[in-house]
This record gives sequence, structure tokens and C-alpha cells, in this order.
Amino acid sequence: MADLSIDLAGIKSPNPFWLASAPPTNTGYQVQRAFEAGWGGAVWKTLGEPVINTSSRFAAVHFNGQRVAGFNNIELITDRPLEVNLKEIYETKKRFPNHAIIASLMVEPKQEKWHEIVKRVEAVGVDGLELNFGCPHGMAERGMGAASGQQPDLVQAQTTWVKEVATTPVIVKLTPNITDITVVARHAVKGGADAISLINTINSLAGVDIHSWNTIPNVGGQGAHGGYCGPAVKPIALSMVAECARDRGVGVPISGIGGISTWQDVVEFMLMGSTGIQVCTAVMHHGFRIVEEMIDGLNNYLDDKGLASVTELIGKSVPKYSNWGDLDLNYKVVARINEDNCINCNKCHIACEDASHQCIDMLTNSDGKAILQVREEDCVGCNLCSIVCPADGAIDMVALDSGVAPMTWNQRNQVISGLNGSYSEAEVV
Amino acid sequence: MSAFEEFDQERRAIDTLLEQGYQVIRIAEDLDGARVTFTHGGPGQSPVELLLLTADARKHVTTVVFAGRKPAAPIETVI
Ligand SMILES: Cc1cc2nc3c(=O)[nH]c(=O)nc-3n(C[C@H](O)[C@H](O)[C@H](O)COP(=O)(O)O)c2cc1C
Ligand code: SF4
Ligand code: SF4
Repeated sequence: MADLSIDLAGIKSPNPFWLASAPPTNTGYQVQRAFEAGWGGAVWKTLGEPVINTSSRFAAVHFNGQRVAGFNNIELITDRPLEVNLKEIYETKKRFPNHAIIASLMVEPKQEKWHEIVKRVEAVGVDGLELNFGCPHGMAERGMGAASGQQPDLVQAQTTWVKEVATTPVIVKLTPNITDITVVARHAVKGGADAISLINTINSLAGVDIHSWNTIPNVGGQGAHGGYCGPAVKPIALSMVAECARDRGVGVPISGIGGISTWQDVVEFMLMGSTGIQVCTAVMHHGFRIVEEMIDGLNNYLDDKGLASVTELIGKSVPKYSNWGDLDLNYKVVARINEDNCINCNKCHIACEDASHQCIDMLTNSDGKAILQVREEDCVGCNLCSIVCPADGAIDMVALDSGVAPMTWNQRNQVISGLNGSYSEAEVV
Repeated sequence: MSAFEEFDQERRAIDTLLEQGYQVIRIAEDLDGARVTFTHGGPGQSPVELLLLTADARKHVTTVVFAGRKPAAPIETVI
């Protein structure tokens, strides 16, 4: 059995599975039950000046029978006084000394406010701090959360203030509601962040009720934008993690968050540079015990791969994530249909005919059977047919060895500019 | 004409010139495609220009220059 323990910027945890700061980490009762179930760490529901939440807070997007493909909330930070939370953190840490407890914090962007809260939470024995610069609603209107997280200089300044007094590692939690998340990540690092975590929720409106014309959710007929999370956001989160992981100006450990619900998701986030991960929606949907399957799955995977420690996964796929301009233009894949597995639904033909390059022919074979065949010379290898195909193994995307040397877009442009004696087009990154 | 045939026609035109000893000296790309200028060292030979429309032919011609040689064999796209 592999070693699942991690050390994220000095925060030690028996495994990489942490609960994200959210309703499942609202109380000591919940966090202790989560640790009993197997979670290795918990980022406490964000502490700050207690707020008053609205009633009717959550909504979900169900897609084609899959419940909670995406989750939306208009909840704010903790609504309980700081002292109550601190007492429960202290008790929880005492019961679970080897588990990681991180205090998520959000206060007004003022030095004295940060100093005060950092000192008070560190006094009860937290293992680290997470600065919530990500909450997209409610707090942002008061100049906190995403409002300060969208201003790189403010992120840097607030991180600096925290580091002036913090004795435990400081994680800066980033908002995805920004054009280039690496800019803020770099400023967090300039401010002294020991690690970053991402992503917080994405600005969203879950829907509009077409009968009442009310927003979903609504508070007595009025709605406001919320934060989106859950499986639907995973690709967005993963790309942001990858961008930060490959940015040399960032260079600090990453706690990956966003749409994680299975051990496979965890492996993907770690391969893309996360030292550990955090989960919210999947726990809200299925409860703490999903971690049992995650632990088993990860253990078996590591054993199958012959890896002794989960840390061996960290960042292994990062070098494989580069710029479009550095991809080989001479690499070629084509679709190949396997008649044995094809159920003749024709979806691939329709997709290629209507949305790609019209190269899947509907033919009749020598036995009079209807078959589909790809004209490989016209196939551009877009993958669409294999994406829409409902039958496992009916379409393979096959790499062809063209015998041609690799050449990227950037190399191609160098060739052209070399020939023409001047640069013709900008480099593509 | 299929997309492959369009490309194949343009590729043949490129390869024929290369086999005759022409060399690519300039590639100008604009909204209409790539204008590729070929010259031949031989006496009395004037430059030849091809307007390439297909993406694969534009890729082919730059691959040839990039590799610094004529292709040993045509690009095999069908197996
Ligand atoms: C109802 C709800 C409340 C949340 N509250 C907080 C919070 O107080 N502080 C915080 O940093 N993030 C908060 N989040 C964001 C989560 O910690 C996490 O970043 C986000 O949900 C993405 O992870 P997921 O896809 O696993 O849910 C909240 C999310 C939800 C759904
Ligand atoms: S990969 Fe794209 S172009 Fe090729 S057959 Fe499938 S849909 Fe058509
Ligand atoms: S989509 Fe798949 S199953 Fe349907 S016809 Fe095409 S190959 Fe066969």
C-alpha cells in the first residue's frame, strides 16, 4: 500500500483529501465526522465578521438525468461568531492532532483587521491559513472576497500583512473570475504566499424559471448572481491549476479545487501540479463517506503504477501542457470505425456531415450490410465522431506515422520569416 | 473534388517544381492563401509562383523547407 501522506508548504496531512471551506466544514461536529470518515484535512468555513445569510441559497444544474452536474450558491462566509468557531477548531485539533486544519479567513482589506484575525486563529492551533480572495458574491460587494482577489496589488498587500504576523503556512485562495489567474497567483507569491489554492466559485446564475420568470434560486422573487462549482467546472479549474503550475513566477505548492468528485479527478489534479486537493460539491451531494472510495481507488491506482508515494504524481503532466504554437502540425490522427462494435446509429455520420469534414460514408458491404467508413485521407482528426459515438470501441482515433519530421506553428513561422527576411506573424503562445 | 484531392493537386505542383531543382525563396501569406515563390539556379529560368489554398499544402511546403530537403517520399496520409 502506497504512502498517501502529503506535505503542502509545511502543512502535513495523512492523505491529499481535504474538505474545501464551505458548508461541510461549518462546525466542529461536521469536521470531526469527516476526519472519522477518512478526510485528511479540512479548510474551515471562512471566518470573518459573521454575516447573515439569505434563506434559499443553493441551486443546481441537472443535465440529462445526471443530478448536480453543476452547483450554484449565494451563501456567504460563516454566520457564527469567531469565538464559537475557534473553540470548535481547538477541540477538533485536540481530537485529531495529525489531521490538517486550515482556517479560511476573510476580512476587510485593512492591515489591522488581518493582523487581529490571524493572531486569534493561530492561537487555537490551526495548521495553516487560507486567505479567501475568491467569494464572488455578497462579500465582494463589501470590498472583500473576489473584489479584492481581482486586484493583484490588493492580493499582494493583504498577503504581506498576513505574513507579517503569521507563524503557520499561508495559502492564498484565488478567484477564477479574472482573465489571467496567473497574474494574481504571482502577486500572491510576491506578497509571501507559501501556497495557492484554486479555484473558488465562478460567477453564475443557475437558471430562470420559465413559468414564474423568477431567477433560480430566488429570495422572495429576487435573485442575485452566485458562485458555480461542481463537476461542470472541473475543466476550467484544471486548466487554471495547470497554468499556475507551469508558470515559473508562481512556483509554490498548489491545493487544487473545482469539480473533484472521484479518485481519478484527484489523480488528474495532482498530475497537473496540485500537491493536494479540496472537495466541496461532491460532499454536499453524496456525504463525507465518498472519501472511502477515493482512498481505495487512489491506493489501488498507485499500487498498479508501482508508486510508493502519492507525491510521485505531483506535476508529472505539467511538462506535457504547453502552448498551442508549440504543438506539432505534422502529427495526424484519423478516425477508424470498428464494424464489430458499431450499432449503426449513424450519429458519427451526422456529426461529421453536419459539423465537421463530410468524410464518413454510409456504404453497403459485400454481405449487404450497412456499414460506415471513414475516408481517412479527408479526415482531419477532429475527434467529433468518437465523442458522439455511443458504442464503446466502435471508433478508434488512430495516430498515423506520416514519416514527416515534427514542425510546430512557431517553427513554421520562423521558416517563413527566415525565408522572407522579416517576421511575418507573431509567435503563438 | 474532395479536400484530399485539392491538397494532392497542390502538393504535386510543389513536389514537381522541387524535383525540377526549384527552391522555395519566399512565402507570403494573406487572406487568399500562401503565395510561394520558387527559383531555379539554372540560366534563363525565371521565378515561378504558386498560390496555395489548402491548409495541408501550406503545411507541406513549409515542412519541406523546415526539413531542409525535398521529401524522400510523398506524405503518406492513407494507410
Ligand atoms: C455553498 C457553498 C459555500 C461556499 N463557501 C465558501 C466559503 O465560505 N469560503 C471559501 O473559500 N469558499 C467557499 N465555497 C467554495 C468552495 O470552497 C470551493 O472552492 C468551490 O465550491 C469549488 O469546489 P467544488 O467544485 O468541489 O465545489 C463555497 C461553495 C459552496 C458550494
Ligand atoms: S475525426 Fe472528425 S473529420 Fe474525422 S471522421 Fe471523425 S468527425 Fe469526421
Ligand atoms: S456513432 Fe458509433 S455506433 Fe453509431 S454508427 Fe457511428 S461508429 Fe457506429
